[in-house]
Amino acid sequence: MSDLLRAPAEIKYAEELDWLESIDDNPKPFSWRLSPKMVRLFILGSERADGLDREVTQKWFGDRSFVERSIVTLASDRGLLLIGDPGTGKSWLAELLSAAISRNSTQVVQGTAGTTEDHIKYSWNVSMVIAKGQSRESMIPSPIMTAMETGTIGRFEELTRSTSDVQDALISILSEKYISVPELDSAGGENIVFAQPGFSVIATANSRDRGVNDLSSALKRRFNFVRIPVVTNKKSEAEIVRFRTEELLRRHSIELDVPPTLLDVLLQSFADLRASAAAAGSDDEKLESALSTAEQIGVLEDAVLHSDFFGERALTARALAASLVGTLARREPEDLAILNKYLHGVVEPRGKEQGGSWPEFLEGGREAIAKLA
Amino acid sequence: MSTTSEKPTSASFTALRGQLHEAAAEFAGGQDALEGILLGMVDDVDRAVAEPLEIFPVCHHSPASALAMARRLREKQPRVVYLELCEDMAPLLTELRNCRLPVAVQAFASEIDGFPPDWAPLSVVAPITEASAEYQAVAYALDTPGVELVLVDRSSDHVFQWDTRQPADGATHTADTEAEPTAAGTAEPEAALHGEAVGVEIGDLRPRFAELEEHLLRHGKVRHWSEWWHQYVEVPLGDSDHDTYRQVMFLIGSLFRRLAPGRGERVRVDEDRERYMWTRMREHLAATGTDPADCLYVCGAFHAASRVDEFGVHGTGGFAISPRTATTWQYGLIPSSNAAIEAQFGLASGSVSIASTEWAKNLKRTRVKPYRLEGQSGTKKPSARKTAAKAPVATPTPVPASDLAAGPASAPAEDRLTGFLQQPPVLNTLDEAELLGWSVDIVRAARRSGYLASTADAIAVFETSILLAALRDRAKPTPYDFQDAAVTCIEKDTVPGRRDVRRLVEIMMGGDRVGQVGYDALPPLARDVHDRLAPLELNLQQRGVRRALLDMASRPELRACSDVLWMLRRLLPPGAARTVMGERRLGERSIQESWDLSLGTHQRALIELGYEGVSLEQVLEQRLRRTAYGPQATTAEVLAAVEDATLHLGGRRLADELGARALEVLAGERTVDGAPAVLRRVRGLLAYYRTSEPVLPPWIESFVRAGYAHYCTLLPTAFRDEDATVGQVAAMLGFLFSMESLALSLGCDRTQLELAVAQSHPNDPAKTALLWAAQVQLGTLSRGELRGRCDELLGNPLVVPSYPRYLSGFVHALEPVPGLADVVVEAVSNAFGRLPDPVLLPWLPTLITTLRSNAADLAPLLIREAGRIFPARLAALDTWVPPWHAQPVAQASPAVPAPRGAALLPRHPETCDAVADLLGRTDGWAPADGPTGPTGAALLFGHRATCDAVADLLGCGDPWTPLVPALPASSLTTRHPATAHAVAALLATP
Repeated sequence: MSDLLRAPAEIKYAEELDWLESIDDNPKPFSWRLSPKMVRLFILGSERADGLDREVTQKWFGDRSFVERSIVTLASDRGLLLIGDPGTGKSWLAELLSAAISRNSTQVVQGTAGTTEDHIKYSWNVSMVIAKGQSRESMIPSPIMTAMETGTIGRFEELTRSTSDVQDALISILSEKYISVPELDSAGGENIVFAQPGFSVIATANSRDRGVNDLSSALKRRFNFVRIPVVTNKKSEAEIVRFRTEELLRRHSIELDVPPTLLDVLLQSFADLRASAAAAGSDDEKLESALSTAEQIGVLEDAVLHSDFFGERALTARALAASLVGTLARREPEDLAILNKYLHGVVEPRGKEQGGSWPEFLEGGREAIAKLA
Repeated sequence: MSTTSEKPTSASFTALRGQLHEAAAEFAGGQDALEGILLGMVDDVDRAVAEPLEIFPVCHHSPASALAMARRLREKQPRVVYLELCEDMAPLLTELRNCRLPVAVQAFASEIDGFPPDWAPLSVVAPITEASAEYQAVAYALDTPGVELVLVDRSSDHVFQWDTRQPADGATHTADTEAEPTAAGTAEPEAALHGEAVGVEIGDLRPRFAELEEHLLRHGKVRHWSEWWHQYVEVPLGDSDHDTYRQVMFLIGSLFRRLAPGRGERVRVDEDRERYMWTRMREHLAATGTDPADCLYVCGAFHAASRVDEFGVHGTGGFAISPRTATTWQYGLIPSSNAAIEAQFGLASGSVSIASTEWAKNLKRTRVKPYRLEGQSGTKKPSARKTAAKAPVATPTPVPASDLAAGPASAPAEDRLTGFLQQPPVLNTLDEAELLGWSVDIVRAARRSGYLASTADAIAVFETSILLAALRDRAKPTPYDFQDAAVTCIEKDTVPGRRDVRRLVEIMMGGDRVGQVGYDALPPLARDVHDRLAPLELNLQQRGVRRALLDMASRPELRACSDVLWMLRRLLPPGAARTVMGERRLGERSIQESWDLSLGTHQRALIELGYEGVSLEQVLEQRLRRTAYGPQATTAEVLAAVEDATLHLGGRRLADELGARALEVLAGERTVDGAPAVLRRVRGLLAYYRTSEPVLPPWIESFVRAGYAHYCTLLPTAFRDEDATVGQVAAMLGFLFSMESLALSLGCDRTQLELAVAQSHPNDPAKTALLWAAQVQLGTLSRGELRGRCDELLGNPLVVPSYPRYLSGFVHALEPVPGLADVVVEAVSNAFGRLPDPVLLPWLPTLITTLRSNAADLAPLLIREAGRIFPARLAALDTWVPPWHAQPVAQASPAVPAPRGAALLPRHPETCDAVADLLGRTDGWAPADGPTGPTGAALLFGHRATCDAVADLLGCGDPWTPLVPALPASSLTTRHPATAHAVAALLATP
C-alpha cells in the first residue's frame, strides 16, 4: 500500500503482481509481464483449485468471458474497445489489464471535446525548440506514443467524447503501428516512431454517448468491441459493492460496519428502481441516473462518510435513504416525484409487511425529499 | 446366472476403492461424508454393472451415447429393448419413419377427468432427434424382425398424477423431469414449436443443484452445461469401448445423484419412476419368459445408478402402479426443432445442432453404421437403402451368454474406471482446415447480414479462436470458443440486421433443423384437410407461405376448398390461413379468393386440432357448442356462434340449436353490456334469413319477441344506471324500434315500450337527449318541442356547458331514430353557431373521437343529411339561410286556397274524361249546380254512372235514394251504409 490518495493498480497490487510474475511459467506474448492466464487470474482472482500458495482476490466482477475476450484481443493485432453504460467498470477493467500486462496503467489520454491530435501523437516543448531546434529531445510524446515506444498498453478514456478527426488519428497508429514526425529529419529514422511489440490500445466508450461522435467504420474495424453490461445479478452486485466499499473505508481509515441488512436494502432499492426504469415509457418517468453499480457504491460511500463525520458513527437506514435521495435526485420535479412515488408505493407497503430496516429507510427518505422539495 | 446383484461389493473395484478411500482420508481427514459419497459411487457402478439385465446408460443429445448405442446393438443384437419412454407412446414410434426429424411424440388431453380443471389442456411431448441413442434403439428394434421394443416409463397420465405442483398454485409449473419451459422468452419463432407442453426426455443428465453445475462450469472454463459435457465427457469418451463407456456413465449418474440434496419431491418422483420401470420390466420378463441376458435396458444414466429396492431383475416387487385417471389421451407426432428442444430443456442455444453435426462427423470418422428406420424421410435415399440392405443381416441369432464379449452376467466386470479417471486430459488436436473454414464462413455470413466484415476479420477470428482456446486450456477451439471469437472480432456497437453474430454462428454450426411430420403419420383430420385441399395443387406440407388463388367462377370444384379454408381460418391460430382477397359474410360469397397459407409452419396447430375430432366440421361444431354452452357465454357470443355455424357449416340444424340457446342466455342476462353486439348480430341474421329462407326460423322470432320484452324491462334501469353507456342504451332502443314491426306482428304490445319510456328518467344529459329522441319516435314529443328544448338549453347560460353532452346523446340517437338526422344536424349547427368558444373548443376533439369510435357507422348518415341541408358551394353560403330559420318565413306567405274536389274536375276535363272512360262511362258532362261548385254528394248525383260504377266495384247494389240538397257529408255514409262498411273494412286491412 502507498500513501497516495488513489494508487494506480500496478502500485496498489505491486507485490501481488511481482509474486505472480515470479511463479508464471506459461508463455508470454511479446513484452507482456504476465501470461494471459495469469492476467486472468490476477483480475478474476484465484480459487483453491488453482493450487496457488496464496489467495489472489477478485478485482473485477463480471462474466469471465469478457475478461478472456479482452485479454485475447490485446494479444492480437487489434485494439480493445470496452463499451457500456456509465459505472459498469470499464475503466477499472482497462486499468487492471494494463497494470497486469505492462505494469503501467497511467498512459492515459482522456477524450474530451477539447482533445486534439497533439494529445494523441506528440507536441513540442516550445522553449526547447527555440533553444535547440526541433529534435527528439524537444518533442513531448503523448501517452500513446510513449506506449508505442515502450511496447506497453496505452489507454484512451471516453473515446467517443473526442471529435471524429481526433479519433481518426488513431487509425494509422492502430494499423501501421508508427507515428511519423514530419518536422524531423529523415536521416537516421528520426522522423518515424515505431511501435514496439506488445503495444496496444484500450479505449473505453460510453454507450449513452452514442451518436455524439460516432466512430468511423475504419476505426471500428481496428477495434474489437467488448460490451460490458450493467450487473443485474444480485449476488455478484453485492460482492462488488462490498469489495469497493471496503476499499473506500480503508482509504479513509474509517472503522465502520456496514450491516448486511442495509446492504440488502440498498441492493433491493436499486433493483426496484431499475425495474421501474425499465418499465417507464418516457424519459420523464425514469430517473436520470443510469443506476449502475458504481452509483450504488457512491450512495453507500456517501452514507458511510456522512454517518462517520456527522452522525453517530454507525451506518443507519435513515442515513442510507438520505444519501440515496441526495444522489439520485438530479432533476427538480421529475426525479423527486419518482423517488417519492417509489418510497410510498413500494417501500411503505414493504415496511409494513417485512419490517426490518425498511420503515426507518422510508422515514429517512421522506425527510430527505422534504428537505429538497 | 450369477447373483452379484445381491452382493454389491465385487472384487473388480477393490483397487479403486482403496485409492478413493485414501483420497478421502487425505482431503477430508477421515471417515466422513466425502468417503461415503466416493465409495458409494463405486458401489453404484458396481451394482449397475453386475445387473444381469444389461443396462445401457445414455445422456440426451449426446453423440457419444448414440455412437456407443449403435455399436453395442450391432454387437449384442438384443431381442428385447426396454426404453425409458412413456409406455403409452409406443404405437406411435413406427410412424417416425414418415417424419423428418426432429419431431416430438405428443400425448394430449383436452377433456380431463381426475386432475384440477385449470390444468387443461394437458400435453406431454418427447422430442426425438436423429443423433440420439434412443433413436438408434427405436430404429434397431422396429426394423429388426424378432426384436421387441418395450416402453417402460410411466404413462403420460402418471406424469401429471405425480406432478408436484400444488393445485392452487398454477403458476409454478414444475413438471418432475425437466427444467421449466422457457420457450416464451426466446426470440426465434421455432423455439415455441412445442407450445405449452411438458417435456419428457430420455437420459436427462445434469447436476441437480446449481452450485455443483456452477463449480463444474467454472473449473471447466466453459459457459454452458452442454459445453462442459462436450469437453469433459464426450471427447474423452470418444471411441472408448463399451465397458468404459458404461462405467463412466454410471459413475456420472451416480455422482449427480449423490450430490443432489435438492427437493424431496423430485427425488421421490425419480425413484417412483425407477420402481415403475423395473416393475414393468419384471412383469414383461415373467410374461414372455425372456432370458434377461437377451435384453437391453436403455435409460438415462441418472436412473441407472438407482438405489431403490425394486432395482434389478431380482429386486423386490412391492411397487403398486396406480391406475390411470379417466382422462382420455390422444396421441400424435408434432414437428419439433432443435431450437424448441433447447428452449424446453434449458440447453445452451445451438447445442442440439452442434450435437447433430458432431454425430455426423463421428459417423464418418468411426465408420459405424447407424440404424435408421426403413424409409425414414428426410434422409438421403442411398444411405437409407444401404442400411436397409444391411438390416436383415442383423437378425439376432441367439448368442450363448458366455460368448458375449462383455456379457454383464458372465464374468465380473473389469474395472475400467481407474484407467479412465487417471488418463491425462484428452487434447484434441487443432483442426486448422476446419477452423479456417469456419472463420471464412462466418465472415461471409456476417457480410450477408449487413456487417462490415472483411478478410481481415476472418484472420482475426481465426487467431482469436486459437488464443481463446489456449487461454481456456484447450488446443482445439470448441464451437463455443469460436463463437466468442467471432463476437469479439465482428460484433461492433450495433447490430445492422436481424441477427447478431452469436446467432449467425449458431446457424452456421448446423443451424436450426425443423422437423416435419409426414402425411402418413398425421391424424385423420389433418390428412383430411390435405386431401380436401389437394385441388389447389400446392405443397402445403412444406414450411413457408403458399399463395392460393381460387377462381370459383371458372372452377366450381374449388368451392369446397374455399369452405375448408374458411374453417381453417376460424380454427387455426392467426397466420396459418390468411385471406388476401375475398370475404365471406352472411349471405355473401366471393367468386374469387386469394389466400396466404402456411399450414406447414403451423403443423402442430393442425395436428392438435386432430385430437379434437376427425373432421373440421366436427371440431368446429364442438367448439361452437362449447362456446355457446360455456358458463360465461353472453348472448352476443352465442349469436356469433350461430353466425359461424350458418357461415361455415351450412344447414339449419346447429344454427337453430344454438339460436335456441341464445334465447336462454338472453333470458338470464341482467346487464345491457352486450346490447350493441346483440343488435348488430340479430340485424345481420334477420336480414340473412329474410333474403335466403322462405320463413324465419322459429328461434329468431322468439328471440325478437323475448328481446323486445327483455329490453323494455331493462330500459328504465339502463337509463338510470351509471355503468350503462349511451351507446348501449342507444343499441337497446335500436333493437326496440327496428324490430318493432316484427315484434308487434308476433304478438308484442307497444304499450310495454311506451310505459318503459315513460318510466325512464335519466340523469345524464346524453341519455336525456336519447330519451327525447325516443319520445319523438314514439310520438309523445313533437319535433317542434324538441327544437324548443334545444333552444332553451342553448339560451340558458347555466346549462350551456353541458350542451355538448346532449349532442352526443343525439348523435347516438341516430341509431334507433335515423329519421331524426335533420334535427341532429340542426342541433350540431346551432352548437357551432351559438356555443361560446370556451365550451365549444374543448368539446370539439370529444365530438370527433365520439363520432369516430362510437358512431363510425352513424357518421355517414349525419354527413349526408348535412350535405343535403348546407349549400354545396361557398359562394352560396353568404345568402344561405338555414331551413330551420327559413321556416317561419315560408309559413308567413299567404296560403292560397287550392281548388279542391269537384272544382278540380271541370278545370281538367280531359283527366276526368279519361277516368270516366276507364270506368266505362261515356255519359258526357252534366252542368255544375251552383256557383260555388258541386260538393261531394252533389257531384255523385251529377255523375250517377260513375257513382254506380264505384258502388259496383265496392259491391253495393243498393238503389239510388232521392237527393236532399245540401246534405252534410256524414249523411252520405248513413245513406250508403254498405259502402261505408266496405271502405271501413278496406281501411282496416293492412
